[in-house]
Amino acid sequence: MMVNAQLYVKDLPGRLVESLEPISLVNGNIVGVVHDREQIVNQRICIDVTFEIKGTPELDQLKDIWKKKDVLIAKIGSVYKTFTMEYMLVGKFKASFVESVIDEASTMMTFECVDVTFSSQNASSTRTAMISAELISESDLKKFDAFLMDTCKKSGIVYIRGL
Amino acid sequence: MRILISGFGTVGQGFAEVMILRKDFFKERYGEEVTIVCAMDSSSYVSDQSGLSPNELLKRKLETGKVGTQGYQDPVKVMDSVEYDLLIEVSPTDIKTGGAGLKNIRHALESGKDVITVNKGPLALKFCELIAIARKNNCKFRFEGSVGGAMPIINLCRESLVGENIYSIRGILNGTCNFILSKMDNGQSFEQALKEAQQMGYAEADPANDIEGYDSACKVVILANSIFKRNVSFSDVSITGITSITSEAISLAASHNMVIRLIGEMSGDKLEVAPRLVPKGHPLSITGTLNAAQVVTDLAGPITISGKGAGRTETASAILSDLVSIMDDRKERGGKCQNL
Repeated sequence: MMVNAQLYVKDLPGRLVESLEPISLVNGNIVGVVHDREQIVNQRICIDVTFEIKGTPELDQLKDIWKKKDVLIAKIGSVYKTFTMEYMLVGKFKASFVESVIDEASTMMTFECVDVTFSSQNASSTRTAMISAELISESDLKKFDAFLMDTCKKSGIVYIRGL
Repeated sequence: MRILISGFGTVGQGFAEVMILRKDFFKERYGEEVTIVCAMDSSSYVSDQSGLSPNELLKRKLETGKVGTQGYQDPVKVMDSVEYDLLIEVSPTDIKTGGAGLKNIRHALESGKDVITVNKGPLALKFCELIAIARKNNCKFRFEGSVGGAMPIINLCRESLVGENIYSIRGILNGTCNFILSKMDNGQSFEQALKEAQQMGYAEADPANDIEGYDSACKVVILANSIFKRNVSFSDVSITGITSITSEAISLAASHNMVIRLIGEMSGDKLEVAPRLVPKGHPLSITGTLNAAQVVTDLAGPITISGKGAGRTETASAILSDLVSIMDDRKERGGKCQNL
């Protein structure tokens, strides 16, 4: 499993290494570390670390080690890969059209988030919408892709997708 | 090597110029001269078994508008009246019927002659048939310049990447559309950008072939058949042109750090030409009349090439590369080549 943790350690030499070493001890694999020296709370600095670990028993073991080493865990949770695609719609439609399309799509696939931006045109002329969709799986993304293309085709709207 | 040139427009003339520039190259590399024994345009032809001067052909075309001194009705009869080894077919593209180009290529291959073409019509309509005729008659049939002009996409995939599994190819295959979209990036409307493209000679008076995506679709078919070994034709491609792209769409894309480009995409199960959102800085976000293609392979990963997609000398350079390849093959085998 992929885990992201926000840790706070005392601002002393060697504490960064000391907080990361236990991940290797439980056979974890560090994917990324952000050592934020500007974010200091109670003389502790923030370390944002993302790592792969085998399962919950290993994660529990790691948490115990961190506790013993006086590493405060501010936030911890599993992370997963998401799939993002940008779409642009060009044609005569209202903002409510895009909302209803997204609502309908939500019943068929799982979105992590959707961001919609419109061009500033009045309702009578051609409108442009940019949709940035983040879905939780590649298959959901493909389903959304096909759904959006089909809906736009039926409504006479030009559909442009990202690469 | 005796060459018959069918078509003496921009590309045909470009090839004649390249022949003048590379005269010594052939002599040094192969110990033999490459001679043009016949040249045809739409209404005239000239032939001489001892070889025609490329300079004379260019001069006559410039002065009279015709390459030849004699008229003809049937190009096949002209071809049969000449002894030649290789046909260079560069007559105008006819995407509806294949035109005279298809007839000429078919006849040359059936007569056992090698063929080089940049004519997209015959390839988009009858690719598999022409390949089969070439195989049957043990002829070499090459068409590098038909996709991407000077950009060596076909030879790259079929020769340099021959051991790779190619998953997909996507690219900018029409310089005119890319010019228009690049101009729109700078604030011009579609109509203005199209007019400028026409004034600069990038777009035809009837620009439908380019802006409706038909030209790109022909190239998608050629790549799908030649690289992915598919058996598809023009009507199998899902085509969306760029005529619906508005200035607002371009601006909205720019506000998200993207540009819109007409992308041709093909893979084992996909054939599409459509405008796509491309992040700025991506290899396919190029501007101007350039062509670019990204080949995604299993071992090498993505490989991107770009180059001038059209132009007299640029397209002639692709014909030259095909000619060198055929002559290398003949040299190695001491005669006719065995493969396509």
